[in-house]
Amino acid sequence: MLGLVVMLLAGTPERTIPAEADVVFETTSPYHHIRVLDHEGLRTLSFDGSMETRMSLRDPLEGQFEYTEYFHLPWLWNDKIKEVLMIGLGGGSTQKAYQHRYPDVMVDSAELDPAVVQIARDYFYLKESPSLRIHISDGRTFLRRSQKKYDVIVMDAYTANRYGSFLPYSLTTREFFKLAGDHLSTNGVLAYNVIGSLHGSRANIVGSMYRTLKSVFPQVYLFPASSSRNVVFVATKSSQSVSLPQLQQQAAELVRQGRRLPPNIRDRINAFRIKPPLAANRSPLLSDDYAPIDGLLQTTP
Amino acid sequence: MRSATATLVVFLGGFAIMVLEIIGARYLAKDFGGSFYVWISQIGVILIALALGYYVGGTLADHFKKAAFLAFLLVPAGIITFLIPNFASILIDAIIMRHPLNQDIPPVWQKLDPAIGSAFIFLLPCFVLATLSPYMIRLSARHLAQVGRTSGLIYASSTVGSIAGVFVSGYILIDQMSLTSIFRATGGLTVLLGLICPFMDRWLLDPGAPERSAHGEPAGPAAAEQDRT
Repeated sequence: MLGLVVMLLAGTPERTIPAEADVVFETTSPYHHIRVLDHEGLRTLSFDGSMETRMSLRDPLEGQFEYTEYFHLPWLWNDKIKEVLMIGLGGGSTQKAYQHRYPDVMVDSAELDPAVVQIARDYFYLKESPSLRIHISDGRTFLRRSQKKYDVIVMDAYTANRYGSFLPYSLTTREFFKLAGDHLSTNGVLAYNVIGSLHGSRANIVGSMYRTLKSVFPQVYLFPASSSRNVVFVATKSSQSVSLPQLQQQAAELVRQGRRLPPNIRDRINAFRIKPPLAANRSPLLSDDYAPIDGLLQTTP
Repeated sequence: MRSATATLVVFLGGFAIMVLEIIGARYLAKDFGGSFYVWISQIGVILIALALGYYVGGTLADHFKKAAFLAFLLVPAGIITFLIPNFASILIDAIIMRHPLNQDIPPVWQKLDPAIGSAFIFLLPCFVLATLSPYMIRLSARHLAQVGRTSGLIYASSTVGSIAGVFVSGYILIDQMSLTSIFRATGGLTVLLGLICPFMDRWLLDPGAPERSAHGEPAGPAAAEQDRT
């Protein structure tokens, strides 16, 4: 039954809000026009018309967007994850999934907008605990002031609407990735969601992000989502390169050891791509000093 | 000639102020985050600079009556702007790191810290650039009956410069240049404005200039008639 639900969800077009959805809650924060919408058993968190988080009303651990499942991939590179930092909260899909699947892992989560934190608690069943701490802070400022080392850093701080994808430029630069690298343990992994695609109008952003990540991390892999325009980058501090069969083997091994990876992790692993995106050569390296992400990189190559 | 020069100077001054505001907001965002409060700070601080600059600039103009004096303000302000990429990160670091590391920054400081950072970096250069408008009104106006027209021209030109500054920064500079080069260029422009000022007095007072030759009297009510152009 669950499998059927997952299949049905995978088949529905993502990131479009049905016009007839019920507005359960609506507010305007300093950052976004935020709405919580219910439609056909699914609850959606919307910022300025874009869809941030989706959750099944029957089971708050289901109904999430495909791309959030890629945030479980770091286990394949590091099977001893203890400390995780997640930048960007939304409705907390990934936070809840980690809490549920890996109760032994400590998660810090940084979210800029206090209204989002309140909505995640009130409408998306997010519960703070000693193993899930929410910090109201800009992600980069949080990391800069943090004295901790993390095994995994998950970045999901983007919004998008019809005018393009909006990414805080301070989270896209070489200086930021160096900062993230400094706060990762020896075998640390950065998982980074970018709204974009390998081809077409948002290829330049993906190209620039790849190039910039590669300037700091020895290995960078791409996982393009099949049902939405998301590309999840996995960047590792380890310089050892891995292949698709090795990853599948490692997933099987982890499951055998009792790690409760999401049931469809094998499909997610199959999105694996090690080849640099085509746009990587022509797209600029992003630095604090020069990061034309709002203008130049939104254009079609 | 006089009003043309004054118009150009305040146009460039208005341009530089808004380049600093827009590019400054971007610069602050890397340290204070992709925060709404960065914009609030930047807009508020620049308006404070303008208010102070207008008031002090007007007073100074009445007192000194010579454009040359502005060089003493503009050249240091330009040098400071030029050096923003060198000193600003140290100031911002001190602001952020003064909070205890083992706890989150309190909400009130999340709001105010960007304003403090903005004030340390951008208040002084924008204050100096804002003195230009009242100063140029004083230098251009010779005839009470035309102060309205003169000040209107100066205000309009300075604002048109600011409008250009906003769009050129946001649409072109941010895509084509590094923040460092934009600050350096704006600093250079400010220094250049300062260096032009002593020459402005010479042009304005040059007895050989056509508008002067009729009376040979450079300033004051007696010279009013020739200044309609």
